[in-house]
Amino acid sequence: MTHNQPLNKPIPLFLPHSCASTELNKTGSWRYVRPLYDEKTSPCSAACPLGEDIAHIERLVACNLMRDAAQTLLIENPFPAVCGRVCFHYCETACNRARLDEAVAIRHLERFVGDMLVSDQSFAPVKAPAANGKKVAIAGAGPAGLAAAYFLSMLGYRCEIYEASAAPGGILRWGIPAYRLPSAVVEKEISRIETLGVTIHCRTRVSGEMLQTLKTRYDAVFIGCGLGRKIDLNIEGAQNAVDGLHFLSQIRSAKGPLLEEKRTAAVIGGGNTAIDVARSLVRLGVEPVIVYRRRRQDMPAFHPEVEMALDEGVRLKTLLAPIRIQVAGGGKAGRKFPYVLTLQKMKVSATEINGRARVIPDSTKTETLKTDLVFSAIGAEPASLWQINSAGESLQLELSHCKLIKDEIPVVCGGDLTNPVKSVSDAIASGKQAAIALDTCLKSGWNAVEKAVTDCRVGPGPAVSMAMYLGRERKNRNPHVVSYSEIKTHYFQTAHRAAVSVLSPQNRRQSFSPIESALSKEAAIAESRRCFNCGTCNACDVCRLFCPEMSVMVDAERRNINLDYCKGCGLCVAECPRNAMTLQEENI
Amino acid sequence: MKQVTEGSQAVAEAVRLAKVQVIAAYPITPQTHVVEMISEYCANGTLNARFICVESEHSAMAAIIAAASSGVRTFTASSSHGLTYMHELLHWAAGARLPVVMVDVNRALGPGWNIWLDQTDSLSQRDTGWIQLYCEDSQDALDSTIMAYRLAETVNLPVMVVLDAFFLSHTYEPVDIPQQKAVDEFLPPFSPRFQLDTAHPVAFNQFVSPQAYMEMRYNIQLAMEQVPESYSRIAAEFEAVFGRRYPTVETWLCDDAEIILVTAGTTASTCRLAVDRLRAAGEKAGLVKLKMFRPFPVDALRQVLGAKPKVAVVDRNCSFGASGIFAQELRAALYNAESPPRIFGYIAGLGGRDVTPQTIEDIYRQTQNSDRPQNQNMWIGLDQKKVESWHNQT
Repeated sequence: MTHNQPLNKPIPLFLPHSCASTELNKTGSWRYVRPLYDEKTSPCSAACPLGEDIAHIERLVACNLMRDAAQTLLIENPFPAVCGRVCFHYCETACNRARLDEAVAIRHLERFVGDMLVSDQSFAPVKAPAANGKKVAIAGAGPAGLAAAYFLSMLGYRCEIYEASAAPGGILRWGIPAYRLPSAVVEKEISRIETLGVTIHCRTRVSGEMLQTLKTRYDAVFIGCGLGRKIDLNIEGAQNAVDGLHFLSQIRSAKGPLLEEKRTAAVIGGGNTAIDVARSLVRLGVEPVIVYRRRRQDMPAFHPEVEMALDEGVRLKTLLAPIRIQVAGGGKAGRKFPYVLTLQKMKVSATEINGRARVIPDSTKTETLKTDLVFSAIGAEPASLWQINSAGESLQLELSHCKLIKDEIPVVCGGDLTNPVKSVSDAIASGKQAAIALDTCLKSGWNAVEKAVTDCRVGPGPAVSMAMYLGRERKNRNPHVVSYSEIKTHYFQTAHRAAVSVLSPQNRRQSFSPIESALSKEAAIAESRRCFNCGTCNACDVCRLFCPEMSVMVDAERRNINLDYCKGCGLCVAECPRNAMTLQEENI
Repeated sequence: MKQVTEGSQAVAEAVRLAKVQVIAAYPITPQTHVVEMISEYCANGTLNARFICVESEHSAMAAIIAAASSGVRTFTASSSHGLTYMHELLHWAAGARLPVVMVDVNRALGPGWNIWLDQTDSLSQRDTGWIQLYCEDSQDALDSTIMAYRLAETVNLPVMVVLDAFFLSHTYEPVDIPQQKAVDEFLPPFSPRFQLDTAHPVAFNQFVSPQAYMEMRYNIQLAMEQVPESYSRIAAEFEAVFGRRYPTVETWLCDDAEIILVTAGTTASTCRLAVDRLRAAGEKAGLVKLKMFRPFPVDALRQVLGAKPKVAVVDRNCSFGASGIFAQELRAALYNAESPPRIFGYIAGLGGRDVTPQTIEDIYRQTQNSDRPQNQNMWIGLDQKKVESWHNQT
C-alpha cells in the first residue's frame, strides 16, 4: 500500500467537471463548409409530363394529410382521378425505389387522392382568383383544352370552351373505354373545372370563320382540337373498315354500336386505340384479332395493356400488312364471312428507321383472313383547318408541348396537335404550358415567354410546374434529379408494393366494369410510406439526431441550422436518407 | 431456492435481482445466452429496464457510460473480440469513475478462430482500471454479479465479472437463486455520487491539463487500493445474508502444503480434485484460487504464499514474450517478500484444450521434480511431435 489513509474511509472523487455552459464555445467559428436544406427534384416528378410534386404528395399521404395532398396534386393536375386510372405512369418507371425492391405504386396513389376529390367536391375546393378582366377562347374540350381553361382560370382569365361534340371530355369521354375510365369520373373532374367559372359550349364546332370572330372577341385563343381526321388505310376496299375511334365513341354514346350477329373482327393497327377496340369487342362478344405489320415488341401500344388484351382472349397476328379488304361473294356451307382480308407477309429488314426495326414485304407471300368486321386503328391526323404549317405564318414559338403563334392576338396550339407523345397526361401538360405561355405573353410580351416557361421547369424539363410559376416554395427546389446512388438505402426496409385487386380475364370479358379496384386508405398510407421522398425533407430528423453540436433547430415544423455552433462536420448531409441537404463551401 | 440452471442464466438472474435499469449489449458467442435472457426479461416486463440494441461492443460500452453518467444502474456483457473492441471505452468508464458492471465470458482471440475458453481477453484488459472478479461455478457467477454492484457503487470503479466459456456459460448445475427481498436488503438502490441532471447542468470529463491529470490518476489508484478491504467487508455482509463466502484469495489445504497450485476460474475445481488425490497419496499439495485479479490482492497472497518453498501457477492465457499473466503478477507480488517461493509458471488449456486432474498432477510432479523452474513459462500438453518437427526443419 502506498498511502496512509484509513482503509474504510471513502476518498473524495477527483473528476473533471464544469458547470459553465458550453454555449460559450461557438464552434461555428471552426466551419469552412456549411450544410443547407437544399431540396432537389425527385426522378418521378421529372419524368411526369405534369411535373407533379410526387415526393411531397406521398409524404402528405403518409402523414394522413389528405387535404394537403389533394391540393398539392390539384395545383399541377386538374384530372387526378382520370390520370390515376389511365396514365402510363412514367413516374413509376423512373422511381428510385424500384432499385431497392419495387417502384412505389404512384398511379394507384394518385387515383386514391383523386377519388377522394371525386367523391367529395368540397374536400379540397379549388378557388379562382379575382378575374383579371381578360378572356381566352378555347377550341376543343378534350384534356388539353380543359386543362388550358383550368390553369388559365387559376391565373385569373375568363375562359370559354367551344366543343364540336355533344359533351366535353374528348378522348376521355369518347375514346377510352369504360373498363379503364368510367364516365362518372370524367364528369366529376370536368365539373370541378366548371366551378372555376369556365363555360363550355357544346355542339359548337370552331370553323375557320368562327376562329376569325374569336380573334376579335377574346384576348387569346387556345386550339386543342386533337386529331379529328382518321388516317386512311389507303388500300383496296379501305371503305369497308370501320374507324376504331368512331367505334369507341359509339360504345360511349347512348345508342351503342350495332354489331348484330357479328362474331369475328380484324383490328388493323398496333397502338393503344387498336388495343382498346379489340378489348371492347371482346366485351361485346366478338372474337377480335389484331393485325399488325411489325413485331409485338414494336407495338406503340402500352405493353401492359397488350398483355391484358391477350389475357382477355384477343389474338395478335404480327408481321402482316393488309393489302386488300374484299366483300366476300359467299362462303362454305353453314357460315358466311362478309369480308376477306388479304395480308402481305412482312419480315424485319437489317436497317432501322429512327431506332425502330424496319419491316419489308417478305417476297410476295400473302395470307387471307375471313372476318365479320374490319376495324382500322392506325392513327389519326388533325383536321385540315388545324394542319398548321409554319410557312407563311408570322412569328412562332415552338415549346415542348405547344406552339405559340403571333397573330392579331396570341394563339396557342396544343394537345395532340403539337405533342410528340399522344397521351392524356401530355395533353394536360400542354394545357398547362399554354396557360403559362399565354399569361406571360399577355403580361410581359412575347420575348419573355421562353424564359418564363424554362424557369418553371421541373428538373431538366420539359414538364412545367404551376406551383413554380405562381412563385410557391417549390420554385426554390434544386433542379438536380436525385439518383438511386444518392439515397441512403440502409434507412429503408424492403416492403412489397401495394397491390390492388384486378378482375380475372374471364370476368373482364363479361362487361365494361372497371378492371382495377382502388387502394384502401390504410393501404394508401402504407404504400406512400414506401416512398423515399427523394430530394425532399420529410422531417425524419436524421440530421437532428446525428448533429454532434445539436445545431439543427426546429422552428414551426421547419429545420434550420444554428450557424453559431454548426462546425461544418457534414454528418447531417452525409446521413440525410433522401439527399434533401447539400454541403456548401464557405466564402472565407 | 435451488434451480438447475446454466451460468448464463445465473448472470441474467443476478441482473434481474440487482434491478439494473439500463442494459446495452451486442451478442457474441459464448456470451449470447446472457443477453438473450436479459432481453427477454426486459421484453416481458420481468425486469423494468431499457435494453439498448447497439451495432457494436464499442457502442454498447459507450451507451452504458452515458446511462451510468445519468445515475442509473447498468449492465453489459461481452466476450473475446467484443471485449477487446471495447478496450478504449473500458479506460473511459474507469477514468470517469462509473460503477458499471459487466460480465466477460472468457473466450480465445483469433486467429485461429476459436470460441472456447482462454483467459487472454479479460487479462489483457488489466490496465484499464477495472476491478476483475473470476468465477468458479454458476453460483459464484450469480453471487459475484450481485456483489459487483455493491463494490462498484462503493468505490466508483467498474467491475468485470469473468466466466469461463462453456464450462460456465453453457453448463447446467444447481444454483440457489436468492429472494428479491434478501437481495434488496443487501443491495440498496443506486444512489450516485454524481450524475447528469438537466435541472443542474454540468459537463463531465472535459480537457484536463498536466497540472491536474496526475492527481486524477492517483485518485483512481487510491480507490483501487481500497478495493480489497471494501470487497472483504461486502463479501462478509454477503456471507451473513446468503451464507456463501467469497474471499479475494481462497485457500485449500495450504497450511502445511509444500507445493501450492495457483489458478482462477473453473480450473480451480479441477485443481481441488487433483489436490485431494495428491493428499490421498501422501503429498503435501495445496491450492490458492484467485477470486480477484484486479486489484491484485498482494497482501493476501503474501500471507498465504510468502513463506512457501514452491508455487505452481496454472495460466490459461499467455502474454507472448513474457509468460502466463497470473504467474507474472504473482512473481511481482512476491518478489519483495521475506523469502519468496520459487514460482513455476505453466501454460495449459488454451483455446478450450482440456485441463484434466491428470494435467494438474503432471504439473505438480514437474514442480516437485525440479529444483527451480527451467524457464518463465512451461507449456503443458503440447503436441511434442509437432513442436520437434519445427525444430528439426532445415
